[in-house]
Amino acid sequence: MPMLYEIEGKQLFKENGIPVPKFRAYDSEESIKTFVEELGSDIMMAKAQSLSGGRGKAGLIKKVSATEAEEYIQSILGRDHRGKPVEIVMLEQPMEIANEIYLSVMLDNTSGKYLVLASSRGGVDIEEVAEKYPDEIYKEYYSAFTEPLPYMFMDMGKKLGFEARTLTSFTFIMTNMFKMAQKRDLTLIEINPLILTPEKKIIAADSKVVIDGNADYRQPDIAALKSQRDRHTDLEFEADQAGISYVQLDGEIGIISGGAGLSMATCDLLDFYGSSPANFLDVGGGADEAKIEKSLEILSRQDIKGIFVNFFAGITRCDDVANGIINASKKFDVKVPMVIRLVGTNDDLGIQILEDNGINAYGKMEPAAKRIVELAKGGN
Amino acid sequence: MAILLDENTKVIVQGITGKQGTFHARSMIDYGTTVVAGVTPGKGGQEHLGVPVYDSMKEAVEATQATASVIFIPARFTYSAALEAIDAGIKLMTVITEGVPVRDTVRIKQRALENGVTMVGPNCPGLITPEASKIGIIPGEICKKGEVGIVSRSGTLTYEIIQNLTINGFGQSTCVGLGGDPIKGIDFNECLKWFEDDPQTKQIVLVGEIGGTGEQDAADLVKAEITKPVYGFIAGQTAPPGKQMGHAGAIVHGKSGTAKEKMRILSEAGITTVRTPSEIPMKMKENM
Repeated sequence: MPMLYEIEGKQLFKENGIPVPKFRAYDSEESIKTFVEELGSDIMMAKAQSLSGGRGKAGLIKKVSATEAEEYIQSILGRDHRGKPVEIVMLEQPMEIANEIYLSVMLDNTSGKYLVLASSRGGVDIEEVAEKYPDEIYKEYYSAFTEPLPYMFMDMGKKLGFEARTLTSFTFIMTNMFKMAQKRDLTLIEINPLILTPEKKIIAADSKVVIDGNADYRQPDIAALKSQRDRHTDLEFEADQAGISYVQLDGEIGIISGGAGLSMATCDLLDFYGSSPANFLDVGGGADEAKIEKSLEILSRQDIKGIFVNFFAGITRCDDVANGIINASKKFDVKVPMVIRLVGTNDDLGIQILEDNGINAYGKMEPAAKRIVELAKGGN
Repeated sequence: MAILLDENTKVIVQGITGKQGTFHARSMIDYGTTVVAGVTPGKGGQEHLGVPVYDSMKEAVEATQATASVIFIPARFTYSAALEAIDAGIKLMTVITEGVPVRDTVRIKQRALENGVTMVGPNCPGLITPEASKIGIIPGEICKKGEVGIVSRSGTLTYEIIQNLTINGFGQSTCVGLGGDPIKGIDFNECLKWFEDDPQTKQIVLVGEIGGTGEQDAADLVKAEITKPVYGFIAGQTAPPGKQMGHAGAIVHGKSGTAKEKMRILSEAGITTVRTPSEIPMKMKENM
């Protein structure tokens, strides 16, 4: 489930009528002078952008003065946070807080409806609130076809303690948030906290946005955001561009398989026989020779002790798998042992192609998994 | 008896003239499925694979009285194709297409619910009642008629499990691939209830994955209502814990859970859990 950076989420908020603090992104030694002028204040928040949590504890979020800001930005740009260097720092207007609210809109997997969740106990760990004060979390389900309108959120606004002018602005913000989820194909928008300032303004002080990768074709600007490059390792990104679903793990044996369930089961089986998977790799339904070739190329660049190719082909054709493997083995220097298991559409052709090249394919997956584990451990 | 479909179920293939549609429609016909028509807008009046092609679902249903449809249509056109099938009065709609935007899926699902349509998928392999009929892409040759009902979130892993059962002499009543997307039409629980009521089905296999809460819901149902023996397999034991995606989901449904937790919950509900596909027939033999 692909997430956005906080700053990308806030940019979307801004474009969709959800008030946010003034902010600006820094990724180099650029001067902060114009932002300080725009802000009209000497104090600001500096926040490293990352898809991993724990930024506060890692010292990547800090209240800084205008004189400190540039130095602080330089000190955290490039710093490692949970395996990824910080590449963007956001400077932001600090907000005065009268009240903190939790607010989210999500596409709920179980009901298949939009679900709005809210609580007047925002700004803290909301899961804890849900446990301690379950009555203070308000839930409302909405049909997938809902056209959101402000009146629909009046009750919720009152429960949250808004009144008069703040009540109407809440209902408009909620409407805009709901519309944004629909229009931009978002599966979750979470704001914690949504702030009520002493001047009675409502402002989104944080953003958590999850996008729907299946909708990339109709949300090209979101798909092109920096966070969507950063959530992958280089190899993962390369695989993704080739339409291969690949996750780097830290085990011994590389796998190539088809279908998410079977690919996971293939990883599990290596663990079951006493080894460990070096990756998850699902070529997807109907993979052609080129995709198989690309998969083997990716594995050839990982530090592994063996390769396990496991296909139960439905849409995919075993002859394509076999040809892809043979082609790739010729092009890329595969130094580690490889075990291949092929069953399904055109398996007789696939097995023949492999045999012609001196490779015996397995028909059952458990003996094949056992065998690659033996070979990876130096057996023969 | 089996569930959902038999040799008399009349099926329309949406997207029959496309590459995938042609390949799998042919395989369905060869297997014995009563494919009565295909639909491809603009190709009405032609004949393809020996069945008539219509421009619209409305025309196809009027001409054939079909009750089922299967969708082999690119993701960006699936929303329209599915709504068309529902509007035409189809009662069993199977969406094979992968990559359908979630916003489209929830709207299709809502329409299906309102119209009493059983929706299978999207991103699913479909279903098969062995030696009678199949809708979708499950390879027929690995199946055998028998007494095991299978319901699964996976595609190829389901084939693996079916084949293991068949080789060991355990045939199947019906196998249903629910689909791998987080939001889908029917889920485990609908199928478990149908299998419970189906006299042909004597035992049930449930194939789950990490993520979501369908398996937990299934465990609750099994505990309360299912009297037939149930076997459970969960893929993803070695999958790294997913990144935290905000908290809303966890608040509503609790933690979606690792494969290990899911296995534990299934076990506690009296489901026989296994760690490899070949263990399923082994346990079945032990319990005979």
